[in-house]
Amino acid sequence: MSGADPAGDPIGDYVADLSAALHGPARAKARLIREIHEGLTDAVDAHAAEGLPRHQAARLAIREFGTAADLVPCCQRELTIAQARHTARAAARTVPFLLACWLLLWTAVPDGGWAPRLLTVHLAGVAGTVALLAAATPAVTGALARRLPVPRRLPLAVAWTGTTAGLGMAVAALALITSSPLAADWPPLALAGVLAAVAHGMVATSARACRRCARLKTA
Amino acid sequence: MRADAVRGHLDGLLLAVLESGPLHGYAIIAAVQDRSGGALELRTGTIYPALNRLERLGLLTSSWEAAGERQRRRYRLTDAGRRTLDGERAAWREFTTVIGSVLNPAAPPSPAT
Repeated sequence: MSGADPAGDPIGDYVADLSAALHGPARAKARLIREIHEGLTDAVDAHAAEGLPRHQAARLAIREFGTAADLVPCCQRELTIAQARHTARAAARTVPFLLACWLLLWTAVPDGGWAPRLLTVHLAGVAGTVALLAAATPAVTGALARRLPVPRRLPLAVAWTGTTAGLGMAVAALALITSSPLAADWPPLALAGVLAAVAHGMVATSARACRRCARLKTA
Repeated sequence: MRADAVRGHLDGLLLAVLESGPLHGYAIIAAVQDRSGGALELRTGTIYPALNRLERLGLLTSSWEAAGERQRRRYRLTDAGRRTLDGERAAWREFTTVIGSVLNPAAPPSPAT
């Protein structure tokens, strides 16, 4: 299909530039980049079949494609929305952990003082926020977006909601783990603390990536 | 026709060329350019994020399929995509009728004698 090109590999360079400029969930980004690479290769093949030397065919394909700088904002828009959806899914996966955590705390300290009660309310609040985020984001960016444009600040809102929920989980984990040695029935509290820490780890990384994407320029 | 003029109609163009069957990205670009007789100037790179967006909206589905030694992502219209295409066509007909009636007014009726 291709011989050695004295001008190097313009398609490879173009795709590498584009890939370096884009940020988003690894799978979504890899798919988009692969598809663009395949599309450019098809365009080069089509121009070469019309008689152009391969390096000229590659230059023409890239010119028709648009510069990487032109393309980054519209590709990043999709990847930023994909990251918001990814963060919402990560948050959704923490809900069972949070509910288990809440249940353990509720059963271990049924009539404790104000601190355990405050912690159960706190956990319920975090779980409710996360459930709302997980339910609303796919709807607003999916079928609903056929009729209503996706709010431009939605990814930022998802990022900070995820971050706040992650912080709430970290606070709960710290409170549960540090207080469990003082409790008479400590194993459920320690287990609840570990569950809250796991939930924090699941959502915090994705929320950080979402904050980064939400700051980038999009179309 | 410049790329700017196409921008608001890109979704309809992409859905329309997929109406007759599944296509991969470059074949979609070629189909749009063939149907327009080469008159549409597309920045072809913008097609790929647009296809991703239409899939997110549930108007298309896609899957990787083998094509010789390579793999290409082929897109198919969904039922929602067909309904949206019908809506795009109706909106376009209404738009061209209204603008046409302003640009090319019918000859005024001749006064009664």
